[in-house]
Amino acid sequence: MLVTKSYEEINSKIEKGEAVVLTAEEVIHVVEEMGVEKAAKEIDVVTTGTFGAMCSSGAFINFGHSEPPIKMQKVWLNDVPAYTGLAAVDAYIGATEVREYGGISYGGAHVIEDLVAGKDVALRAKAYGTDCYPLKDIQTSINLTNVNQAYLYNPRNMYQNYAVATNSSEKTLHTYMGKLLPRNGNATYCSAGQLSPLLNDPQLRTIGLGTKIFLGGGVGYVTWEGTQYKTNVKTVNDVPAGAARCLAVSGDLRGMDPEFVKALYFPQYGTSLGLGIGVPIPILDEQVLKATCIRDDQIFAPVLDYAEQSRARKPVKLVNYQELRSGAIDINGKEVRTSGLSSYSKARTIAGKLKSWIEKGEFGLTKPVACFPAEQVQKTLEIREVKK
Amino acid sequence: MTVKECKVQLEYTPDLVSVPITYRLARDLGLEINILKAAIDENGGKMILFLKGEERIVAEGLRSLEKARVRVKPLGDYVVKDDARCIDCGGCVSLCPMSAYVMSLDDYKVRLDQSKCVACGMCIDSCPRGAIALNQ
Repeated sequence: MLVTKSYEEINSKIEKGEAVVLTAEEVIHVVEEMGVEKAAKEIDVVTTGTFGAMCSSGAFINFGHSEPPIKMQKVWLNDVPAYTGLAAVDAYIGATEVREYGGISYGGAHVIEDLVAGKDVALRAKAYGTDCYPLKDIQTSINLTNVNQAYLYNPRNMYQNYAVATNSSEKTLHTYMGKLLPRNGNATYCSAGQLSPLLNDPQLRTIGLGTKIFLGGGVGYVTWEGTQYKTNVKTVNDVPAGAARCLAVSGDLRGMDPEFVKALYFPQYGTSLGLGIGVPIPILDEQVLKATCIRDDQIFAPVLDYAEQSRARKPVKLVNYQELRSGAIDINGKEVRTSGLSSYSKARTIAGKLKSWIEKGEFGLTKPVACFPAEQVQKTLEIREVKK
Repeated sequence: MTVKECKVQLEYTPDLVSVPITYRLARDLGLEINILKAAIDENGGKMILFLKGEERIVAEGLRSLEKARVRVKPLGDYVVKDDARCIDCGGCVSLCPMSAYVMSLDDYKVRLDQSKCVACGMCIDSCPRGAIALNQ
């Protein structure tokens, strides 16, 4: 007989502190021993986690109105430009925006990290001045306690799998995938594999608009499909063998933990935000449970040669995450050492924390308000003739 | 018998270039030696040497080097890894030619084995958290 559970049943167990919660690592062994049918009855929730560079991240901040008021036209936070083509004192600070002077090693990600860590951040703005907003210049400092709102709004996070980067050229490449040594001297990868949220629910049956998640150590929500969300990716063992789905997420910076919000700097590339996210998966039936049992040796990623500066790079080969984590993979008969860029130890911590929140009844599950596309193709940008 | 391992930097003056110094350490004293780095030409130069052997013999080896007028400097930690900044991503692991950075497959934490470091500097700009720096 097929086991089915509703969100309401699972939540009522969570409220009573009776829910059986396992991490995406633990569930593998439990299901191996218990079998899917029995385990689907026993287990209520499986928690996932990931921590890695998530470039498409940033925060909306409302600074409050000054006296006299200003309609900010240009805004800088610790000398990093923020976008303010919005209402008077609203701005968006993007993680990869770098400061205007003093090099590219400090950017929006650092501003966000500083805010979460409780630090003061210098705010500078200028304006052309209007009848209702006369002030033209302002210099002050802000922090999380004196602004009105400060929340992450990240258009693309938590990629469902990603490429492995290597470099066949004669020179070292400095990329968002880290330092790539010449002649395939190393290879870098960046997925939490078997712990990664979207690999544990590959069709997004339980994850959709409104799903409550662990975001940067606080609570956040899934707010849309991620930019570049696509489904037309080759699958191996029922999971995409390459970048596929992704999600937009949002959450209050207040309540986040500096341990899970870390600015990153890739030399000669720029800044990015290292962010921790965890997603709970309600075990509604055996099929949902089976998907959470995916193991590193079953998840494959394409090795791409970053020496080829084209969006149409052909994969050199597919490798699995067990091989990647072993420290070396084989590329054209050569043993190539591997580096992760996503922290598996932090991914584990996140899945564990989320598990304990749910076990203690502090974190309930949400049914998606709407589901994301089952089929979607990613478009390219063509260089077209501009008609006047 | 106490086994000692150490890493030293030898500075050669031009007159020492023709003296088979490392050969003597190995043959006469039976020390296990490994040349980690060497940049020596007719003007002299530097060598980083890993030495392993009985404590007494290692000490004797170092004395013999000094006797031969080779400047010997014990090589301390060339780089420091700030564990509070490190996020254990492992970005440094595949860049170190000596495999001094190791990702443990138990707890997935990155550890630096200073004894393997040859002061090449490859790791310095590899860390996205700026957790690796020259030890100054």
